[in-house]
Amino acid sequence: MRPTLASFILKAGVLLLAACGPGNLVVLIPDPDGAVGGVRVSNSAGSVEITAPHHAAVVKDETTAPSALADLSAEEVAKLFSEALAIRPMPPVHFLLYFELDSIELKPDSLNQIPDVMAAIRDRASRHISIVGHTDTLGEKIDNLDLSQRRALAVRDLLIRNGIPDRFIDTTSHGEKNLLIKTGDNVAEPRNRRVEVVVR
Amino acid sequence: MVFHLRSILLTSGCCRHMLHSGFNGAARVRKSLVLAACGLFLLWNWDIGSAEMPAAGIVKSVKGEVVIFRSGQSLEAGEGMRIFMGDRVQTAETGSVGLIFSDDSLVSMGPASEMVVSEYHFVPIENKLSFVIRVFRGTIAYLSGQISKLSPESVRLETPVMTIGVRGTHVLVKQEG
Repeated sequence: MRPTLASFILKAGVLLLAACGPGNLVVLIPDPDGAVGGVRVSNSAGSVEITAPHHAAVVKDETTAPSALADLSAEEVAKLFSEALAIRPMPPVHFLLYFELDSIELKPDSLNQIPDVMAAIRDRASRHISIVGHTDTLGEKIDNLDLSQRRALAVRDLLIRNGIPDRFIDTTSHGEKNLLIKTGDNVAEPRNRRVEVVVR
Repeated sequence: MVFHLRSILLTSGCCRHMLHSGFNGAARVRKSLVLAACGLFLLWNWDIGSAEMPAAGIVKSVKGEVVIFRSGQSLEAGEGMRIFMGDRVQTAETGSVGLIFSDDSLVSMGPASEMVVSEYHFVPIENKLSFVIRVFRGTIAYLSGQISKLSPESVRLETPVMTIGVRGTHVLVKQEG
């Protein structure tokens, strides 16, 4: 895109703001995965919509309508928000691990995901790992509660064997009460035989 | 003002057409999101046991001095501490803090910043969804989670001079104190 005179003036305005300090600013930036959302900035005097990455709105005060600005450079954003961005936690990650029928044995594909779970824990230096066991509706409810608990504990033990301290892990079990795929009673559904691991 | 604009949008023929044509797909996506979010909600509530009010989130990272004001008390923020609706979070000149909410939203604050979690409801099964943060001063980074996916109109960041309706997803706010 060719810079226009207008965008130069806008940019100069932003630089001036950054240099002088004052100014109430809203900036839209891409998600960690690259997607871009949108925001509407409004007050009693008007409103403006921002939908492009690194575009911003400046609001002088409550009685002055927000004004849209052309894109800020990554450097400008980093300068203004470096500390808030530096301390921002990584997004939590959810894993679904699946089990063999009436068993606490992980399916091979799910067993192969354990290194990814470990990497997620390491990347986040996570001390908040939730493990929740589930079953399908085949068999008795009471047995399924027990099975879901043993599944959760099996995953916990795997993580502990990989060096994760017990106290970082929170284990619960729902039996057949929280189905991923809704079914009637006594239905074999492989996608319900699972443990969900959330790493925060 | 926001309502006024929305009613203009809704009465324009073009937008009505868009709403109709996109409805089925959107409804499907919404349904699967609700299911996923219900699971997340149950998970989180099991995590925290049967407290009277469910925690809205946790303090994930702290640097320097950060204080949480809750029911007339001031608490020094520490890693792993729970955050509740109504909490006022304040960072000192050298402080910063990162929070993870139960819907997977992330909120982080730079130095000399202050905000209140004025509304937080994440009960997808009852369709009770809202997230409102009041920013008094400083710098805030917000990355939206499930609430914004399920109910985009229920997520707002407010400051003394503006209201930011967050349709998604990653927003930075700087407010002069």
